[in-house]
Amino acid sequence: MKGYASLVKPYIIWMSLFIVVPMLLIVLYAFTTSGNELISFRFTLDNFFRFFDPVFIKVLLKSLEVALITTILCIIIGYPIAYIIANASEKSQTLLILLITLPMWINMLVRTYAWISILSDGGLLNSLLEFIGLPPMKLMYTDFAVMLGMVYNFLPFMIISIYTVLAKLDKALIHASHDLGANPLQTFLRIVLPLSLPGVISGITLVFLPAVSTFVIPKFLGGGQYMLIGNLIENQFITVGEWNFGSAISLIMAFIIMASMMLTRKMDRDASENTGNEGGKLW
Amino acid sequence: MKKILISTILALLVLSGCAGEEKKVLKVFNWGAYIDETVITEFEDLYDVRVIYDNYDSNELMYTKIQSGEYYDILVPTDHMVERLIAEDYLQPLDLSKLSNLGNLYPDLLNRSFDPNNTYSIPYFWGNIGIIYNKNTVDVADLENEGWMVLNNPKYADRIYIYDSARDAFMVAQKALGYSVNSTDEAEIEAAFELLKQINETTRPIYIDETIIDNMITEQKDLAVDFSGDAAYIISQNENLSFFVPEEGTNIWMDSMIIPKNAKEVDLAHKWIDFMLDNEVALKNTIYVGYTSPNISAFETVTGPGGDYEGNIAYQPRMDNPNDEVYKYDDALKEVITDKWTRVKAQ
Repeated sequence: MKGYASLVKPYIIWMSLFIVVPMLLIVLYAFTTSGNELISFRFTLDNFFRFFDPVFIKVLLKSLEVALITTILCIIIGYPIAYIIANASEKSQTLLILLITLPMWINMLVRTYAWISILSDGGLLNSLLEFIGLPPMKLMYTDFAVMLGMVYNFLPFMIISIYTVLAKLDKALIHASHDLGANPLQTFLRIVLPLSLPGVISGITLVFLPAVSTFVIPKFLGGGQYMLIGNLIENQFITVGEWNFGSAISLIMAFIIMASMMLTRKMDRDASENTGNEGGKLW
Repeated sequence: MKKILISTILALLVLSGCAGEEKKVLKVFNWGAYIDETVITEFEDLYDVRVIYDNYDSNELMYTKIQSGEYYDILVPTDHMVERLIAEDYLQPLDLSKLSNLGNLYPDLLNRSFDPNNTYSIPYFWGNIGIIYNKNTVDVADLENEGWMVLNNPKYADRIYIYDSARDAFMVAQKALGYSVNSTDEAEIEAAFELLKQINETTRPIYIDETIIDNMITEQKDLAVDFSGDAAYIISQNENLSFFVPEEGTNIWMDSMIIPKNAKEVDLAHKWIDFMLDNEVALKNTIYVGYTSPNISAFETVTGPGGDYEGNIAYQPRMDNPNDEVYKYDDALKEVITDKWTRVKAQ
């Protein structure tokens, strides 16, 4: 066994080279000034102060709002789907999960482009509306389009997290609940729901974190004026060329993400404590 | 059997490896959809070389990549970026004696202010910026009377695209207010900023990238601020659309081929530039891309009888309006404008 341990070394070198070093560079950029030259820099906190500007704070709040709504919608839509799949026959479960993950085999960029042609004026959806004699709707470049793109892209993460927990749920607990006189609703609310909370919480992590920092979906479906924090960072690096400010925003973002991860982990712990640690664990 | 197969594959790999070593490699970095890709193969066959062809969608993106140390043999930046690269010592002087096809270009398009004597750059495509409009839904009188200010006309609310580029957006506002695009006067920049914010509120334009081409062809909006080259292509695909350049003035731009200092195949890079100046190659490119060619023969063929851009108003940018300006490179101005443009969009 000891010999195998050294196999991990290349991985550690790889990780430190391609993950740790770039992150350290971001920290360095965030706290320094004078362009992209690493030779002549001096330390400063200006990049962080610059962010505390009503315009940028508004962008941050908007990103959090969009991510939050996306997460809530994913739970509302994802939970029933996960529940139905978990209660289907073994054979159809495999098929249904395959159907849920199937779109994820295609690049997210391509799928988002597909939504453009569906939602655009004179696109697929509007042609359909026209065909059945309804007035066309303005769908592209609206909150609705961005929301739709977000929920569509991140929903599978939520469904699979919840499904994994529900599928492992001990059916005896449900039978016991029925035997003791609980009706289906009571059984769901008092047995299934609390036990499935760990799945919901990991679903929240998997949806909220990418949703809060995404920039492709708002850019494509919302247009250039739909600016979220991810777009702001991309802008700083690519268009403006302000790597220092961009890095500072990234760090602020990383801080928020870390804080929300700690919060969800705490929720996860509380949830398992409440259910006496017998809940279906995700992993 | 398996062993034979594996050794055959290995042998092939080794052989192809050798072949790859002998062939010279030219690395070209150009705008997306800015070439008829068949000419790349033609060039490869002609000189028995391999071309690595990469795309970018903004001068800034290209600059960021160059700055991070990536090397290319050929770049095609816009005038103000050429000026910047010259100032920052990224370019090497061209050997004009190696460019036998240089005489194929309009002399008027050589020796421009950003690179007098064409020491570093050779024109690739050029054009200006204007408004693409739908003839059926937009009153031409509105365009003629209001010029750029038509973008602030509530009548066209939710019906406008603006190409998402800080300097071009500011150009629109500066010209609407009668200022120079190279003005560093703070009050003038502030006024342009206020106007852009006002337009943003009044007509809620969509700031968009290259998808503007498909979206305009399918008539999703009625007005679009875009480059003349995009307009020429869009009009050639949909005859309901036309192009209008306000009298108040616009930006005249030129994308030029340059060779960076750290290029590895300098001689081959010259051959590439000369190949692009060839009449047939230039014709193929301009037909495919829709941007205005600086090549005399290609320009005359596509605008002549039966040509692909015959009568296409956007393909022939005006050269006679004294209000039209070329962007000068100014780092401080650029920084102010990009910051303010972010603020307009983030409203």
